[in-house]
Amino acid sequence: MLNFFASLGLGVRSMQAQRAGIETAGQNLANVNNPAYARQRVILQTSEAVQTAVGWQGTGVDATAIVQLRDALVDRQIQAESSVEGFLEAQQQALQYAQSSLGEEIDRRADGAAGSAAAGGASGQAGLAVSLSDFFNSFQSLATSPSSTTERQTVLTRAATLVSRFNQVDGRLQALQDNLEQGVQQDVGDVNRFLDSIAQLNDRIVQSEFSGATANDLRDTRQEQVEQLSRLVNVEVTSQPNGSVNLSVGGELLVSGRDVLDSIETYDAGAGRMMIRTTAGATPLNLTSGSLQGQIAVRDGAVAQLREEINTVAAQLIEKTNAVHRAGFGLQGTTGADLFEGTNAADIRLNAALADNPGLIQASGVAGAAGDNQVALALAQIAAQKIPELGNQTFSDRYNQIVAEVGLSLSSTNGRITDQQLVQNMLLRQRDSVSGVSLDEEMTDLVKYQKAFEASARVITTIDEMLDTVLGLKR
Amino acid sequence: MRIASRTFPNLVSQQLGKIAARQSRLQEQVATGQKLRNPEDNPAAVHRVMNLNVEKDLLGQYRQNIGTLQETANATFNVIKTLKQIFDRASEVAIQADDLKSPEELRTFGIEVTQLLKQAVQVMNGQSRGAYLFAGTRSDQAPFVATTDVDGHVTGVDYRGNTDVAEAEIAEGSLFSVQVPGANNTGAGARGLTGDSRVGADLFGHLIALQNHLNSADYQAIATQDRPALAADEENILFHVGTNGALQSRLEAADKLAASRMDGTENLISKEADADLAESMVRLSETQVAYQAALQSASTILRQSLLDYLR
Repeated sequence: MLNFFASLGLGVRSMQAQRAGIETAGQNLANVNNPAYARQRVILQTSEAVQTAVGWQGTGVDATAIVQLRDALVDRQIQAESSVEGFLEAQQQALQYAQSSLGEEIDRRADGAAGSAAAGGASGQAGLAVSLSDFFNSFQSLATSPSSTTERQTVLTRAATLVSRFNQVDGRLQALQDNLEQGVQQDVGDVNRFLDSIAQLNDRIVQSEFSGATANDLRDTRQEQVEQLSRLVNVEVTSQPNGSVNLSVGGELLVSGRDVLDSIETYDAGAGRMMIRTTAGATPLNLTSGSLQGQIAVRDGAVAQLREEINTVAAQLIEKTNAVHRAGFGLQGTTGADLFEGTNAADIRLNAALADNPGLIQASGVAGAAGDNQVALALAQIAAQKIPELGNQTFSDRYNQIVAEVGLSLSSTNGRITDQQLVQNMLLRQRDSVSGVSLDEEMTDLVKYQKAFEASARVITTIDEMLDTVLGLKR
Repeated sequence: MRIASRTFPNLVSQQLGKIAARQSRLQEQVATGQKLRNPEDNPAAVHRVMNLNVEKDLLGQYRQNIGTLQETANATFNVIKTLKQIFDRASEVAIQADDLKSPEELRTFGIEVTQLLKQAVQVMNGQSRGAYLFAGTRSDQAPFVATTDVDGHVTGVDYRGNTDVAEAEIAEGSLFSVQVPGANNTGAGARGLTGDSRVGADLFGHLIALQNHLNSADYQAIATQDRPALAADEENILFHVGTNGALQSRLEAADKLAASRMDGTENLISKEADADLAESMVRLSETQVAYQAALQSASTILRQSLLDYLR
């Protein structure tokens, strides 16, 4: 049988254990809305029994540990899927901007100049498609009135609009590529900051867990940072026995325990394309997902291809139009002038000499015949020509296909993101089912521990009364 | 599955987000009447709409071309009509100029023919949209220039235009011209209005001869030379009247065809791009009901907590 003081100790230990339970429930309740937090539980263990005259007798309960409830498998899956989501979202954002850059919106209610979206024509569309169509159609009008200054001025206005649209589209796509470049630089900085931060957390976790206790809150923070890092790059995480994790990015070990072995940087892989490699080792990284790779892939893929295709359309337009125009004659018999100058969408411009004098448009095929329209007609008919350099398509067909291809890429990415979000939400629900805090559970625990605490206090009160009784025997 | 406290709000938030997105999409369809707006909405349909818009714009352009050609054809017809009236009066004069008329009467007729000649030159130098109608493709200069002697008699009318005509497109690959050269003595190409060597027409030459014969009171030459020559001119003018009518009919037919094709194209665009308003409205109402139901059920459930039952 325990003595009175040992019994009092039992009550005290029990109260301490229940208080630990209440504090843990309080900690869980406080973090109910913290997405990085994994709920914690107090592990209670029966205190060591002592041998008494009546046999082994229990000495109460001890709170031996506070553990967090996590499913490592789900955590790894979420981390991997975060990487895919980061990749897709970077692509989606860039493609949305690329789509906007083209300005090809269908607005069936817009009516000519009154509807801003269809200012170029009555087709309810804006952008290069309408400008191309208007440009070639203006030559049709000129062909019906070859000596008309009004029709000539219309040709110049439509040509200037077309040139301006090409310049604008290319400028926007250039800006998009620049933004993606800046995004890559920013992500590289973020990755390096996360590598440093995770290495520091490793250090603190190793130190904190040296005594054997688990540094739950530090592990939560580290897991959150690993997931944030995963959104940027595909990272491989290897847990170490001392509680730290090693991080490899693109097959290169960058963090080993508390040490950052290497960081990452951008380098010029040729033609001004910035790629990623390790800083010290200068090893190019094989990135497969994450927003960093998403931005690189869309920059060098869809956006670069889009710019190249628009440039090809512009270059062919300059070449084909000039070849026909050069052979014609203006109202004053001038010949040999180009309609457009430049070589691509960025530098295409209207011949300045013509811009100020519509009479210099070389619409006639015969010198001294102002009413001849052979060249104007030939220029108008370029619209229907299938150009080998454009894949045997007309200018409009090719451009419309380019627009559709951007739409298709974006639509496909949107679909993949929807699927990805379903997977991600499902995994997050799975994680919440293990690690998420339930108010009902915690409130129940709170009542449970509170009652146990009260009961333990009652044990102490009872022992105290018993001690008083024993002490009263002397009087 | 165990439900954590944040699982439910997260789920509600996701579900409301989905319904709100659908609601927004349907509301936009109802407001704009369109189911397509951006290429991402339906790339294949947007591609088709863009191609159809190009086709529709081109058809619109063909109709504009036809309108301009009709305008030119009308102006040409008005000139031909006036020319025919001038010709008819000259023919009457040629018939009336017989041996019953005195030389003074014939000279009076001669003065009238001189005026008819000058009027014909003036008419044949008519313009449409700033271009001379009967100058061929040298439309920037007056095609006919009359020369007169000291007495004001017309001694010659030079044609300074050419025999080329400009064609415009009225349908894919279909070129069309309503232009008539003032004269064509090359033996090839479009038939000239006042003169054509292939049919012996030379209106100005024949009227000058008539004027001269009237002035010299040579009624025999009028009877034997001028009247038969004028017959060839009449035939030529009538040929142009008929041709102009046929051209205008073709233009009208081409315009109707282009208008009908535009309607067809518009229907195709509408099928691809326009929303079925009734269907969109019904779906929007359904979605609104779903949204309200989700909000109500979520607010009821989210309010419930064990806290309400603990003191």
